[in-house]
Amino acid sequence: MSDFLIEAKNVSVTFGSGSTKVEAVKNVSLSLSPGEPIGIVGESGSGKSTLARVLAGLQPPTDGEVFFNGVSVYKGAKSYTGEARRQVQMVFQDPYGSLNPQLTGLSAVSEAVRIHDKCDKKSSEVRALELLHRMGIAQLDALKKPRQLSGGQRQRVSVARALSANPTVLLADEPTSAIDQSAQAQLLNLFRGLLNDGLAIVLVSHDLGVIRYLTKRVYVMKDGVFVESGITEEIFNDPREDYTKLLLASIPGHLGVAARKKLNG
Amino acid sequence: MTNQNPLLSVKDVVIGIPHPRRETLIIVNKANFDIGNGEMVGIVGESGSGKTMVCRAIIGTLERRGAKVLGGEVFFDGIDLAKINEAQWKKLRGKSIGYVPQSALAGPNPVLTIEAQLAEALRNTGDTKNLKTRSKELLDLVKIRRVDTVMKQYPYQLSGGMRQRVMIACALATQPKLLIADEPTTGLDVTVQSQIMDLLTEIRSSMGTAIILISHDLALIDDVCDKVVVMHAGATVEVGAVKDLEKPRHPYTVALNSSRIDIAAPGSELVTILGSAPSVGQWQAGCRFSLRCQFVQDDCKVGEHPALIGTRSSHQTACLHADKLEGVR
Repeated sequence: MSDFLIEAKNVSVTFGSGSTKVEAVKNVSLSLSPGEPIGIVGESGSGKSTLARVLAGLQPPTDGEVFFNGVSVYKGAKSYTGEARRQVQMVFQDPYGSLNPQLTGLSAVSEAVRIHDKCDKKSSEVRALELLHRMGIAQLDALKKPRQLSGGQRQRVSVARALSANPTVLLADEPTSAIDQSAQAQLLNLFRGLLNDGLAIVLVSHDLGVIRYLTKRVYVMKDGVFVESGITEEIFNDPREDYTKLLLASIPGHLGVAARKKLNG
Repeated sequence: MTNQNPLLSVKDVVIGIPHPRRETLIIVNKANFDIGNGEMVGIVGESGSGKTMVCRAIIGTLERRGAKVLGGEVFFDGIDLAKINEAQWKKLRGKSIGYVPQSALAGPNPVLTIEAQLAEALRNTGDTKNLKTRSKELLDLVKIRRVDTVMKQYPYQLSGGMRQRVMIACALATQPKLLIADEPTTGLDVTVQSQIMDLLTEIRSSMGTAIILISHDLALIDDVCDKVVVMHAGATVEVGAVKDLEKPRHPYTVALNSSRIDIAAPGSELVTILGSAPSVGQWQAGCRFSLRCQFVQDDCKVGEHPALIGTRSSHQTACLHADKLEGVR
């Protein structure tokens, strides 16, 4: 039995072939302990979302292996079989695209509850309401369809749906990039609560402010490889790689000002 | 000089959407701010607070959206914008005022090459000579490398940051006195964002262009602007220099400030603003922030939305109890 909840070993992902060949992820290794918040940060095209999809079981790696609790995740055409499937859940970047526009928040979440708990409709709805309530969605709003909700509310419905499986790992791909500042604060408070409850979170983001706030360890990704990784606070205070320094200096506001001072000596 | 005669003055502006059968829907009421020559001003507020609508009023494209300025006044460079006709608008829009729209990715016309796009903008100046050379100069101005290649390319061949640069180049074609950038970096990477911000700051100092930067990111505005206009539910609730806003006097700005993650300690409780912004058409009597305000008093819930008041003219707040708030933070 491994100490790590998720462990990725020498993972590579290649799309296409010949002249259109793209190496999205090149030979990266990553580990996640139970209850740990980690971050993957990088620009568009750095391969961070692809890596998140590999960890979620949605994208078989071209090379390398992913283990969940010491067991290989990808077996033939399948991934995360049995109990493991329930334990790793993902929240996507675009809350418009990831919720069924025809379903109310309540039916979206209770459908997920029914699939995972195999219970009847009534008790699934009770549990769904409970989850939505925890995410700060009132009963009245739970009966609305995605288009009637604000961006922040939609994202919280997606989180509630992910939590319906009682996961041990939550993979969040840019969860705050489509919502405004006060909604972002709300979502981050919720994530903090989930961490206190012992959930492990993999936060994929280009927003270093969010990464600094929520994670303990961070991997900085560029062109498919990790250029730097380590304790979040240490990387923020003392970045080694030029690329990390540049990223830090680009953050607007207080964090960036401090980093820019360091960068210019 | 700038204080007596601002380049742009927006005063008590009311914007509504008239409806043939129902009552007119008021979407902006009491928008107030001034911009001096060469000043860089940030407008911040939640989605739906009327930021974009006010800017549409300034460039006169409200009516295409079925909306109308119903009250107040907008003066640009001494011209009362309520009194001019479409022909005069055409002279102003895209000439004296440049506009960079919100979505960089959808901004440029997808079926025109960058060269054709810039040429179209340049023809607006009335001078149709040397379009090619002048287009290249514009691309140089916004720091696009490989100018000759880019000129022949279509928008889909460019990255998001490049497209946004092209949009800024188009807006600068006529050397406007005022440039409005509506969330110019939403959806772009932080590194690209900081490049675009550097570019805007440079344009402002080299060409003396006044710039309005619309954003919901207070940290970003802090970095580059001189002045901040905070909007909530269609009204300006606070105006001040960036430095003034470090000590905000409106409860909404206080809340916005404390939800900033660049200031918060990692893992600490972030302050969130209660509830959500009131929907258009459902504004309560009195102060429109009163339902979400933690310092709310009885007199906040009656009468009109409070007017902007301020002891120093540079820092103004639309809150009845701003003075009491000063000690609370």
